[in-house]
Amino acid sequence: MNLEALASCLSTSACAVTQVSTALIIGMLLFMVASGLSLIFGVLGVINFAHGAFYMVGAYFAYAAYQATESFAVAFLAGALGVGLIGILFERFIMSRVYGKDVLMQLLVCYAAILIFDDLVKIIAGPEYKMMGMPEAFALPPLEFGGGFVPAYYVFMILASLAIGIGLWLAIEKTRLGKIVRALAINPPMVSALGINTTMLYAGVFGVGSLLAGIAGALAAPTRTLTPGMGLSILIESFIVTVIGGMGSIVGALIAALLIGFTRAFGAIGFPLFVDGLMFAMMALVLILKPSGLLGREPAR
Amino acid sequence: MSEIKSGIGRRTFIGGAVAGAAVTGFPHIAGAQAKVIKVGMPTILSGRVAILGTSSIPGVQVAFNAINAAGGIDGRKLELVTRDSKGRPDEAAKVTRDLINNDGCEIILDGEASSGSFAVHEVIRDLGVLCLHTNSESSTLTADPKQKVKTAFRCARQGIHDAVAGGSYAAKIAKEKGLKKWMTISPDYAYGRDNTAEFIQYAKVFEPSIEVVDQLWPKLFAPDYTESITKTMQVKPQAVYSALWGGDLVAFIEQSNLYRVFQNTAFFSGGLGDPPILTAIKNLPQGLNTAYRYNKKFPDNPGNEQFNDEYVKLVKHEPTNWGWQNFVAANFVIEALKRTAGKTDGAALASEVSGMQLKTPLGVGGTITMRDTDHTIINYPVAWGKTVSKAPWVVDYVDTEWSKILEIEQQWKKEKGWA
Amino acid sequence: MKSGVLRDLAVGAVLVALLLVLPILFPKPALRDFLIYVMAYGLLAMSLNLLVGLTGLVSFGHAAFFASGAYMFGLLMQSGTVGIPVAMLATVGGTAVLALVIGAICVRLKEIYFSFITLAFQMFIHSIILTWVSLTGGDQGLRGGIPRPPFLGIDLNDAMTLYVFCVVVFILCIAIMRQVWRSPFGFTLRMIRDNPTRANFLGADVVRVKLGIFVLAGSMASVGGVLLALFVSGAYPEFGFWTTSGEAIFMIMLGGSQLFIGPVIGAVLLRLLDHFVTIYTDHHGLVLGAVILVIVLGLRQGVADYIVDWLERRRETRAAAASVASEKGAA
Repeated sequence: MNLEALASCLSTSACAVTQVSTALIIGMLLFMVASGLSLIFGVLGVINFAHGAFYMVGAYFAYAAYQATESFAVAFLAGALGVGLIGILFERFIMSRVYGKDVLMQLLVCYAAILIFDDLVKIIAGPEYKMMGMPEAFALPPLEFGGGFVPAYYVFMILASLAIGIGLWLAIEKTRLGKIVRALAINPPMVSALGINTTMLYAGVFGVGSLLAGIAGALAAPTRTLTPGMGLSILIESFIVTVIGGMGSIVGALIAALLIGFTRAFGAIGFPLFVDGLMFAMMALVLILKPSGLLGREPAR
Repeated sequence: MSEIKSGIGRRTFIGGAVAGAAVTGFPHIAGAQAKVIKVGMPTILSGRVAILGTSSIPGVQVAFNAINAAGGIDGRKLELVTRDSKGRPDEAAKVTRDLINNDGCEIILDGEASSGSFAVHEVIRDLGVLCLHTNSESSTLTADPKQKVKTAFRCARQGIHDAVAGGSYAAKIAKEKGLKKWMTISPDYAYGRDNTAEFIQYAKVFEPSIEVVDQLWPKLFAPDYTESITKTMQVKPQAVYSALWGGDLVAFIEQSNLYRVFQNTAFFSGGLGDPPILTAIKNLPQGLNTAYRYNKKFPDNPGNEQFNDEYVKLVKHEPTNWGWQNFVAANFVIEALKRTAGKTDGAALASEVSGMQLKTPLGVGGTITMRDTDHTIINYPVAWGKTVSKAPWVVDYVDTEWSKILEIEQQWKKEKGWA
Repeated sequence: MKSGVLRDLAVGAVLVALLLVLPILFPKPALRDFLIYVMAYGLLAMSLNLLVGLTGLVSFGHAAFFASGAYMFGLLMQSGTVGIPVAMLATVGGTAVLALVIGAICVRLKEIYFSFITLAFQMFIHSIILTWVSLTGGDQGLRGGIPRPPFLGIDLNDAMTLYVFCVVVFILCIAIMRQVWRSPFGFTLRMIRDNPTRANFLGADVVRVKLGIFVLAGSMASVGGVLLALFVSGAYPEFGFWTTSGEAIFMIMLGGSQLFIGPVIGAVLLRLLDHFVTIYTDHHGLVLGAVILVIVLGLRQGVADYIVDWLERRRETRAAAASVASEKGAA
């Protein structure tokens, strides 16, 4: 425990800026993954344990597209849309068959999906480490803010995630479709009675949730190593985020993701050995005190 | 002890039974089957470190293909049987038993990472077949006399040898460039911690002015190192040592590049020298210091290049450190089988392997020795070099004298109470 | 009731006989190895099913107790102070205390939140195993082998003796769980699963009853851990990782949660599947994943449950046909 170091870091703007940006870098990418997980749970009432695998697939799609075209925009779209499509197919052909069943059934099909995707990636792309590399547009020296440094790409990543998060929130809270989706979360028979095709809607929501995982994968691809099984660690972290923030709450996911980001960024300075323990402790504490999470409501159904 | 002996008796008998079953089950290949000597390899073939297994196997195959093309051991061909332990030590123990008891493997090349290798070690203690650990770098596996198993050997680099070589190399550069303020960033698990502690210990022995100002321990397989990198920027060390390896190291270097960390900080890495890592990194900074893992130009001889080329034909990437270690291990097995004229009894093979001086292009001066006292190899390359931005990626290898390493290793063993 | 006990005893005796005769008929050590694995993981799955199938508590963190069994036993044996029977009893007792502490917090939560918090505790225990290197050996596990000193003239260093010992311990644990399964306590648990409010009404202290079965299930899982530690002569952090819990859940689903012996059938099936898939292909995940999908989407229940239901349906249709026939005859 080194609170002195923590205090001295917070008192210099260079250190504070760098560590705050670190928190945002960790937090916002986590938010992208967790928001998809949370959205799917909020509306469909299922936990998509295959979300980490979707993140991995997004990264690989982006990598492949970037290899082929050298364009980051294409890579980004390939990761996002490709995984969105896989999400829809996965919902239609597999997940929809276990709605309303035991949570164990859902857990198992997702486990099967993880095994299959990991192996497919290994077979198709090979087990070697892959790195997409930094696109030309971002190959700049780090930007300086008040003595602290933030790489250009990370500035883009934070802003892009934030914009997507806000867009998602607006779409759910302010549009007609968003209202229908929220209604669907609470009372599906009623929505269906109004003549709305709930089957399509479920598939659509699952697709959007998966799309978010794909976006996270694509955003991570330029700076993180691609390997089969890379989805595991982010699944666990985003799971913690969703539980703390509240299953089904986008804003909750944002708050919890940033909480984890700040814990890790400043924990690295002040109490590096307790960061992991603290994350589990926060999760356990939230579950004991308010099982539905900071901003969650009881699950639908 | 008597149980172990009777165990061997039963095992050989079962090996025969299995061969018999194979004869009745597959009449077409019965002749060939009976003649084959099966060598089993438990290793990791799935998940994040699948490359451990997929790059170990071709190393063995290069050696086996060569001997089989030359007619095998008195006409008996060698066959490699591999099993995925999925990175679980209990599974490693189980598949090793299966390989021996069920598949009729008479020799084990253990391609497990360190925790799995300890599990395999216990199985070998029980079953008494010849086993060469080909990937575990953990010093305790062979250096601690308590762990000793008569028929088990290590054909892989060993932590303490690397530490002495790395420490002396780092000390020399630190002296030249006045690098006093050091920091370490290594993965938080047994290998990362031991490797780092030993490196620093010997760097300080050779250059007492070295001072470690901070040590960071990111999690093993962490995808993101931003918090460690920005922490480094606050501490502003003159040099960084890292025991990160594999995909973790690739991510760490690329992420550090974004912050231009290596512009004014010297970097010493224990794991950067593997060709698949060097080629995965898109912007490899120049002048990073790394331990030798494998390089087709080092040791610089035609035999090594030939090994490299044969290997590339099998898997489309250059050998890893694990690749050459398995190649050499397979050659130890082949040489031992030649000397026993194909007899696969564990004790007989072990007495041949023990102390064997194997002629191999990978050795310093053309030989690698399996030391008889502690069953581990010496005289393999423990050089350090510097990165350049294009192939062969690492140049200017500086070799450390083995006499120096052995002398210090002996002191280290005494300190530990192992010698 | 009496005849039920007799039937259980008969089935138990047949099972013991079968397990003991098998390795004599097929003396390959590989078969014994396989069965020991099945028994160790079978105990994990069976004990988890006391929570999942009997009480409706879906724990995602059961492997924590499996690991605690392996580590406590391994550490006690390595300390060299006690013999195997004492170490086993102490391990079961110690794990029961651990399960009591964790369970006291967990059983208050409902449904999916119970699953989450058990998962959180398991990850916590896993990270303790990884970080407390001086005690547990960290990621490398307990090394140097677990000694098996002879006791009461029984020497577990002999492979066959070890096997018989495992069979006896396994059957003993199964018998205990069978008693719970069919006892009044077991029926209270079923009622809690199906209708907790009603159970509460009828005077059952739901939290206390749940805690009771949580502790029992944890202790039984620890015995599975002991058997595995004895066999592989070590203990590893993977024993307590969430994938191990996932495997146990898969065994239950594969075999069936409503038939008492279902999880063991699942353990046998999964281990067989694992064994052959690993032999014939390096694409283990692809095959296993496909099999899971086929079973979950095709049968929508465990294999054993499916067969029992199928037999039931067939009997009913036959009975119906027979009664129709007899009515016709009467007419």
